Amino acid sequence: MKLLVVDDSNMVRSRIARIVQAGVLGEVTIVGLARNGEEALRAARLAPPDVVTMDLTMPEMDGLACIPSLLAIHPGANILVISALTDKSTAIRALRLGARGFLPKPFGDDALRSALQDLMDHRI
Amino acid sequence: MAALKETDLRMFVDSVRRYFDVTCRMSPEITAAYLGTDALATHDFNGVVSFSGRFSGQVIVSLPGVALRELLLMQRETDLSEANLLDAVGEIANTLAGNARQALGSSLEISVPSTVRGRAGRPARVRKHPYVITFRWNTYPGLVCVDLEPLG
Repeated sequence: MKLLVVDDSNMVRSRIARIVQAGVLGEVTIVGLARNGEEALRAARLAPPDVVTMDLTMPEMDGLACIPSLLAIHPGANILVISALTDKSTAIRALRLGARGFLPKPFGDDALRSALQDLMDHRI
Repeated sequence: MAALKETDLRMFVDSVRRYFDVTCRMSPEITAAYLGTDALATHDFNGVVSFSGRFSGQVIVSLPGVALRELLLMQRETDLSEANLLDAVGEIANTLAGNARQALGSSLEISVPSTVRGRAGRPARVRKHPYVITFRWNTYPGLVCVDLEPLG
């Protein structure tokens, strides 16, 4: 699985990378770590990801703006939104834009693994 | 528009508990909740998220560096630089503010977090007496300031 991690927090990007590389999800290659939507689009052009974890509140280009642009570049990308914006209307909006899953912040290690596993198994 | 209700403030208290509980499986003890003065006595790392839309103002999360280092270590983070400590406190503020939209309404706009190093008192922006929640996590003190007023 090729994974692109998009979040403006270095702490969150590093944590997601450590969790997915711990081995439980099988072979995971981190193809990019992006701090905002614009960096995510550049990274996706260079190395198309299978799965993207996408924050929503970010500077420059936020997650809701990035999702359709990223899917235009790489329609096969499976996007898991990971956001503190846990109100129902935001989650619905993200899913309507093409995200495949939504994981609220704060999240535990097991919840992230489970959400990514569901996404990879196309159970979402 | 109605001011913040007791249930809204309880939501912030619950969010503080949940953040530490979920992230590192160690709940904080809420030590006090009170109306603060307009110049808050903060700890040395501060994350600030501004609100606009239905409410204006800010939410501040303040922690000492030693608490943030411990939080990062519990997440197996090896970068304990000052920049990463500021990033961590900003992300906590972002999470609490983002979660607040569930109770305060999705029309509430929140900024990306800004961070401030230093214990100099931070002025309240919209309330003369902002709500202050203090807590103790893993022996370290922490503070959340809810400085919000409804618009209109």
